[in-house]
Amino acid sequence: MTEQHKPVEKTALSLSVNGRQQSIQVEPRTTLLEMLREQLDLTGAKPACERGECGACTVLLDERPVHACHLLAVQVARRNIVTVEGLAERPGFQQIVDAFVARDGGQCGYCTPGFAVAAYACIRDNPGADAQHIRWALVGHICRCNAYDSIVAGVLEALKRVP
Amino acid sequence: MNNPFHSVGQNALRLGLAEKVRGEARYTSDLKRPGLLYGKILRSPHPHARISAIDVSAAQNAPGVHAVLTHLDVPENSIDADLKVLDPVVRFVGDEVAVVAAENPPAAEDALRLIRVEYDILPAVYDAAQALADDAPSVHAEGNLVDGEKLVVSRGDVAAGFAAAARIFTGTFSTQVHGPVGMETRSALAEWDGDRLTVWKTSRSLHTHDRQTLARVLGVPLERVRVICTNMGGGFGNKDEGRLAVLVALLARKAGRPVRLDYGRAEEFLGGRNRQSTRNRIRIGIAEDGAPQAIELTTVMNAGAYVSSGRNVTRRVGQGALYLYTCPHARFEGATVYTNRPAGGSFRGLGAPLGHFALEVLVDQIAESLQVDPLEYRLRFHVPLEGQPGQRVTPPDQMLPDEPVEGGVPFSSNGLRDCLLAGAERIGWREKRRPNGTMDGPRRRGLGLAMGIYKGGVGREAQAEVSLNPTGRVEVRVGIVDVGQGSTTVLAQIAAEVLQVPLDRVDMIMADTALTPPGHITAGSTTTFSSGSAVKLAAQNARNKLSERAAAMMDVTDVVLEEGQFLARNRARPGLSVLQVMEGLPGSSVGRAELKAGSSDYIINSFAAHFVEVEVEMDTGRLRILRYVAAHDSGRIINPRLAENQVSGAVLQFLGIALREELYLDERSGVTLNPSFLEHKSTSIVDFPPVEVIFPAGPDPIGPFGAKALGEPPVVPVLGAVANAVANASGVWLYEAPFTPRRVLQAIHEQGSARS
Repeated sequence: MTEQHKPVEKTALSLSVNGRQQSIQVEPRTTLLEMLREQLDLTGAKPACERGECGACTVLLDERPVHACHLLAVQVARRNIVTVEGLAERPGFQQIVDAFVARDGGQCGYCTPGFAVAAYACIRDNPGADAQHIRWALVGHICRCNAYDSIVAGVLEALKRVP
Repeated sequence: MNNPFHSVGQNALRLGLAEKVRGEARYTSDLKRPGLLYGKILRSPHPHARISAIDVSAAQNAPGVHAVLTHLDVPENSIDADLKVLDPVVRFVGDEVAVVAAENPPAAEDALRLIRVEYDILPAVYDAAQALADDAPSVHAEGNLVDGEKLVVSRGDVAAGFAAAARIFTGTFSTQVHGPVGMETRSALAEWDGDRLTVWKTSRSLHTHDRQTLARVLGVPLERVRVICTNMGGGFGNKDEGRLAVLVALLARKAGRPVRLDYGRAEEFLGGRNRQSTRNRIRIGIAEDGAPQAIELTTVMNAGAYVSSGRNVTRRVGQGALYLYTCPHARFEGATVYTNRPAGGSFRGLGAPLGHFALEVLVDQIAESLQVDPLEYRLRFHVPLEGQPGQRVTPPDQMLPDEPVEGGVPFSSNGLRDCLLAGAERIGWREKRRPNGTMDGPRRRGLGLAMGIYKGGVGREAQAEVSLNPTGRVEVRVGIVDVGQGSTTVLAQIAAEVLQVPLDRVDMIMADTALTPPGHITAGSTTTFSSGSAVKLAAQNARNKLSERAAAMMDVTDVVLEEGQFLARNRARPGLSVLQVMEGLPGSSVGRAELKAGSSDYIINSFAAHFVEVEVEMDTGRLRILRYVAAHDSGRIINPRLAENQVSGAVLQFLGIALREELYLDERSGVTLNPSFLEHKSTSIVDFPPVEVIFPAGPDPIGPFGAKALGEPPVVPVLGAVANAVANASGVWLYEAPFTPRRVLQAIHEQGSARS
C-alpha cells in the first residue's frame, strides 16, 4: 500500500471491435469488459462476477466465446472482438433473437446477451446439437432466474431456424 | 381450461425480451451521463467496532478524486430506525465506512486505499441464541431482540389443544444463510440539476421507498426527486434498502457531477441483503384419528446487523404452521435477533419456505408413524375451502389479511386438493411410492411431496392510468417495477383484454416516478393481483369513456363491446371497431384507478403441491433430483408460458438453495468466506431435469380475470418435498438445510444404524 498516489500510465491499444478498428488509451489494469462498457459504451456484455464465473460478459475473441471480465484490454491488442451488438448486425443472429423470444428464453434478461453470444457459437459449431449438447455448451452461464429450460428450448428452436 | 378471453390466458411473447437478447436493454449500471464519476465504498474489516478517527485528506487530494464522504459529512436523518446514512459504529465485516467518487473506477478504488481509519474494536456476536443472552454484546443500543419483543400470533388455545392430544410430535429444523444473487448487482446513478435530483437505481420500490427516503434524508421536497429503474436484472424480493441511493446522491451533490456506483459481486453478498438463518422448533398434537389438534412453531431468526425487511421474514415463517392444516389451535412465536453478521433482508418467499420445511417434514413423520400414505394424510387434513375452525376476528367491514391466523373465514378459492391429485397423478405416486426406508443398495430412490400456502397478493395500494390516444395506441402507466418476472407483459395483456385491442397496441410505461402514478413495492407476489386489478379498473374506466364516444359517433344511446367492435345495443347499425373510435378521439382519453385489491369476505391465498423423485448415494451423501412436478393454484394464469417459466425457474433456483447454497462466516474474524459464484454455487444449466409445471386449479372469483399470486409460491414447498423424498429413499430425516453431502452423510451415520 502506498501513501503517494501516482497517476497510472496509459497504454495505446488498437484492436477491431465489431468490425471497426479502434485506437484506445487504457490503463494496463483495465479489463476488456470495462473498456467495452465504459469507453466504447457497448453495454450488451454485462458485469456480474468479475472473475470468469458466470458468462454474463461473454464476447467473441477471434470468433471464440470468452469472458470479457477475465481478460485485460491490453491482452487483446490487434485481435478481433465481436460483442452482442456486433452479432446483431450479422445474418443468422435475428433467428436466434426470434427463437429466444418465441420460447421465452430469459426472464430478467441480464444474463441473456451472454447466453445469446454463446448460443451463436454453439449453433455455428454444432449444427446438429441436441438438448444435452446445448446444456453442456452453455454450462458456464448462470441464469439466476433459472430460465434454463426455456433457454434450451430457445436454442433448439434457433437451430431449426438458422439456415 | 376453457378460455373465454382473447388476450388473458394467451401465451403472449414477453415484452422487451428481443431488446434484452440483443443487448440493447439498458440496466442501471449500463447508464452514463455527461461528466459521470464512479463511486466506490470503503467497507469495514471488523465485525463490530467504533470509528475513533478517520483521515481522508490523502484520498481527497488523489488525482481524479472529486468527493469523499464519511459519517462526519452526512445528514443526521436515518435511513431506517436502525440504519444511519453512515455510522461511526460498524456492525459487520463489509459494513459501509466511507464512499468516494472519482474519474474512473480504478481511481476510486485507489482512493479507498488512502483513507486512514482507526477503529476501537468491540466484541461481536454471530449466533442468534447467544445474542439473546443477558451478557451478549449489544449490536444496537436498544438490545438485540428486534423491537424488544417476540412476535406472537395465535388461534384458539394451543395449551388446551396439546393437553387433549392423543400424541405429540416435535422436531427442530435449521436453515442457513444464502444470497438472493440477482445477476445484476446493486447499482445507482444520481444526477442533480440545481436542487432537482434524479436517481436511477436497481430498485423494486421507487415510489414507496427510494423516493420517500431520498426526499426525507436529503431534505429535498418530494416533487423534486425523480427515481427511475430502466430494467431490473433480477429482483427476487431483494434490492429495496435505501442507503446506496442516498450515498450516491450525496456524492453527486458534493462533487457537482453525476455519480454512478455499482456493487461488485463480493460486495453484493456482503453489503446486499441475504436470507437469514433460522432455527425452528415445531410441535404438532394429533387426535387418535391423526387429525391435528394443536400446532405450534417457534422460530429464532438471525437478522444480521440491520433488520431491513426482516420482521416480515419472521412473520412469514409461521404461515404454513398457522394455516396449511385444519387445526383448531395454532400458535406462532418469532424472535428476530440482531447479530454481527451481514444484514439479512427479504428474498423470494421470505420465511415461508423455512417454516414449511419444518411443518411438512414433521407431517411426513406423523404419517409414517400412523402408517398412512403422506398423500392420503394431506388429502384428509389439508385446510379446505371453508378455512379454519374458529371465530372471525377481523371486523366484518374490513379487508381480510392474506397472512391469515383467525378461523371462521373461507378462502376465495383453494386448489390444494387439485394440486395434490394432479401432481400425484403426474409423477405416478400411487404406482411408484413405497414406504419410507424400504429401499436398499448403495443408491436408493424415493418419492416425496410437500404442500405450500402463500399470500395471494392482497393488500397493496395500487394505482394505474390508461390513456387512449387518437393515434390508436394505448398507454398504460403503473409505478411498479418489472423485476424480471414479466409483469410488463401480464399487465399489458390485462389492459388489452379489457379494451379488446391487439396486445401490440399497448405501450407500458412503468418504474419512473415522473411518468407514473404512485406504485407499490414489487413484493409479496402482489403485482398481478394488486396492480393487475388497478390496470383492469383503469382500462374499464377508459373503455366507458370510449363507449360514450362510440355511441355519439354512431348516434345511438347505448353500445356494447363485442370482439373489438362497438355495436348498437339493438344491433340496428354497423359497428365501429375500438381502433376506429380511438382514432376519432379529439385528444387522449384517460381512465384512472386507485384501489387496494382484496376482500372483506374471503381470504385470498395461493397454493401448491410439489412432488419430487430423488436418488440418495448412501456412501457419499450426494443427492440427485430425478424428477420434479410442481402443481400450482394461482387462479387463472394470465400468461401460461411466462408462468411456467417463472415456476420452473423458481423451483430450479430453490433446488440449488436446498442442496448447496450457503454463505459461510468465520466466527473468529466475522469474515464471509465464500462471497462468489464459484463457492456459493447457484443452480447451473446441467444440474436438474426439466421441471414439470402444472396448473390444475380454476380461476379465483376475486382476482383480476381470476388470477392470484404466483411469483413466490413455487419456492415454498421445495425444502420439504426434497427432505421427504430423501426420507422415503433412505429412511433418514434431514433437519438442516442446505442438504449438502456432509449433512446427508451425517444424518445417515446418525440415523442409519437405527433403521437397518
